[in-house]
Formats: sequence, structure tokens, C-alpha cells
Amino acid sequence: MSNIDPKVLRHRVENINTLPTVPGVLKRLSGIIEKPRITLVEISSFISNDPALTTKILKMVNSAIYGFPGRIASVSHATMLLGLNVIKGLLLGVSVFELMQKAMNGLYEHSLACAIASRVIAQKKGLKEPEEISVAGLLHDIGKVILMLEFQKEYEAAMQEAQLKSISIFEAEKIQFNATHANVGSWLAEKWRFPRNLIEVIEFHHRPALAKNAPLETAIVHMADILVRARGFGFAGESLVPEVHPLAFELLNLSAADIKDVLKELEDNMESAEDIS
Amino acid sequence: MPKIPVAKLEPGMKLAKPVTAKNGMVMLGEGTELSETWIERIRDMDIASVLVEGPPVQTLPKEEAIANLEARFAKVESKPYMNLIKKITKEHIEGLYE
Repeated sequence: MSNIDPKVLRHRVENINTLPTVPGVLKRLSGIIEKPRITLVEISSFISNDPALTTKILKMVNSAIYGFPGRIASVSHATMLLGLNVIKGLLLGVSVFELMQKAMNGLYEHSLACAIASRVIAQKKGLKEPEEISVAGLLHDIGKVILMLEFQKEYEAAMQEAQLKSISIFEAEKIQFNATHANVGSWLAEKWRFPRNLIEVIEFHHRPALAKNAPLETAIVHMADILVRARGFGFAGESLVPEVHPLAFELLNLSAADIKDVLKELEDNMESAEDIS
Repeated sequence: MPKIPVAKLEPGMKLAKPVTAKNGMVMLGEGTELSETWIERIRDMDIASVLVEGPPVQTLPKEEAIANLEARFAKVESKPYMNLIKKITKEHIEGLYE
């Protein structure tokens, strides 16, 4: 049984800048992205002043995940093209990749694959900003990284319990923490002033029927998560495919051919995408 | 496009993606046909593998890939739409071996 009070958990997560296990780079970044009125220019120069970060961002935007046909050669071009929210998300995404790989072997591939699948489904549904959905796919499991960093013993216990009882990691987290990675992720996204839609996707990607503002976006990431696990790319805490929420499936209304296309795009892009870190 | 470890590159293979230095600079462009010389240069760079053109190489035998798929779906097969998703994914995986 859990002895962690969710209020205490939330407090610790929201004070990520003081957590001893969180590396300096993420703290510095957290300080930047939570600023209430950060401008594109500020964020662009923050990236440009860090050569390692610049390389990672440029690799990411030129990769299969975003599928831009031309090469984007500069950070300023990338920020203008993608906008503040996508750049903030990407910045976070590339910065937590190493942590992801350390925290849970395979979570990085899982997240990349979800980003790709989310973009493809968003394009099929004719959404105007597929890049935003892609970022949501990339970050949907960020709560797992923080839980694993800060509560490693408890999280490992949750993973063992999931395997032993063959329940989902989501259920095992509830038992262990009285909260889930989806809650943790949404607290962080709120703290970092991500748009309402992205917060909702992260919070409800396991329970898409609860999404009020962004039901379609949430359904997309929910479905992407399921397809990626169905195909067996990466690892996200347990190796079972979660069941699709029937309402989300019906809302998306993807044909068999659409689903096949998503799997095919994943297949084509995963090998090259894995080199991004 | 299979990912080939640098030690196993052979002349005549074509790059499916550019070979880049750590800082992102393109050293050899996409589509380059590899010669002995190019392979030697790639070996002198600090990279583990490159992507070449051609059908993807599956690391798992087909039977094992399908058995894993069955295991992943074992608990949810009877849930709404999951049988459909499983069927499509199975066809997709089988297609990788043709």
C-alpha cells in the first residue's frame, strides 16, 4: 500500500528546481520555460547560446518526427516556423532524452515513436498544427521520468508489481503513489505554462473521455500510444497493450488503411529517428 | 532501410540518410554509393552505424515476433476494437517478412 500523500507528491514535483536528483540542465531549462512572458526571441537566443542544445534541436526538427522537407539550418528559422509552444516542448523533449534513457530503458524510443504516430494521425485528421500534437506525443510520459528520478525505489516496485500481477503500469502507479505519471506530467506542464490543450493531453492520455477542451488531440495521443505498443517499439513500464477507449476510437474514426499507414510510417522512420539523441 | 554497423559496410551500398558529424555537419550526402575509400573515411569517424538503402532487416524471427504480439494483446483481445487493432498490426508485422 502507498504511504505517499498525493499533496506531498505534487509539492515535490512542482518544486523540481530544488530536487537533488534532477540534473542542472533541466533545472536551468525549467527556470526559462516557466517564465510567464517568455518571447520567441528570448527562447531562440537561449538555445543558440548552447551549442549542444542547438545541435539537438536542429537534428530533431530536421528528423522524420517533424517531416519538414527542407533542412532547417538555424534556430531562429526553427522557432519562427514552429512557434513558441512547440519549441518549448521540443526543448524539454531533447533535454530529457538522456534522462529518459537512464530512467527507463526504452522510454525514449516509446516517446519518439508516439511523436511520429501522433503527427501522422493528426495529419490524417486534417489538424492544422500537427507539430503540436507531435510534441504532445513526445512528452506524454514525462511524468514517468520525474517519478523514476525522484522515487526510484517506489517506481521500480510499481514496475515489478505491474509485471507480477500483469496489470498496467498506470494501475500499479495508483497503488504505489495514489497518483499516476499522467497526474505528475500535467502538474509539470501546468507549472511550465504549456497551453491548456497540451496539459489535457498529458493528463488524460489514459482516460481520453475526460478531456474537455482537447478531446480530439487527447484521442490522437491515446491511439498513438496504443499503436506503438501494439507494434512493440520501445518500452514504457510494462509490455502489455492497453485497451483503446471505445469513444476515442470512434471519435478518430480511422479506417484499417489509415492504421496501416501509421504503422508503416513508424516502420520507415524509427531507425533513423533513434539516432537523434 | 537497414542500419548497418560500420564494420559490416561493403562497397556498393548506398546511404539512405546522410552521414553527419557530431555537430550535425553533413559529411557524406544521402544517396552516396559507398566505395572502399568512403568506407575507410567512415571508419575513421566516431560513429557506430549508418543507414543504407534496401528493405529493413528484421532482428527477430517471424514466429517470435508474432508470439510476442500475441502475448502483448493477451489481456485485451476481447475488448472493443482491440481485435481489429491486433489483426491490422499482425498483418503489418507479417508484411515485414515478405
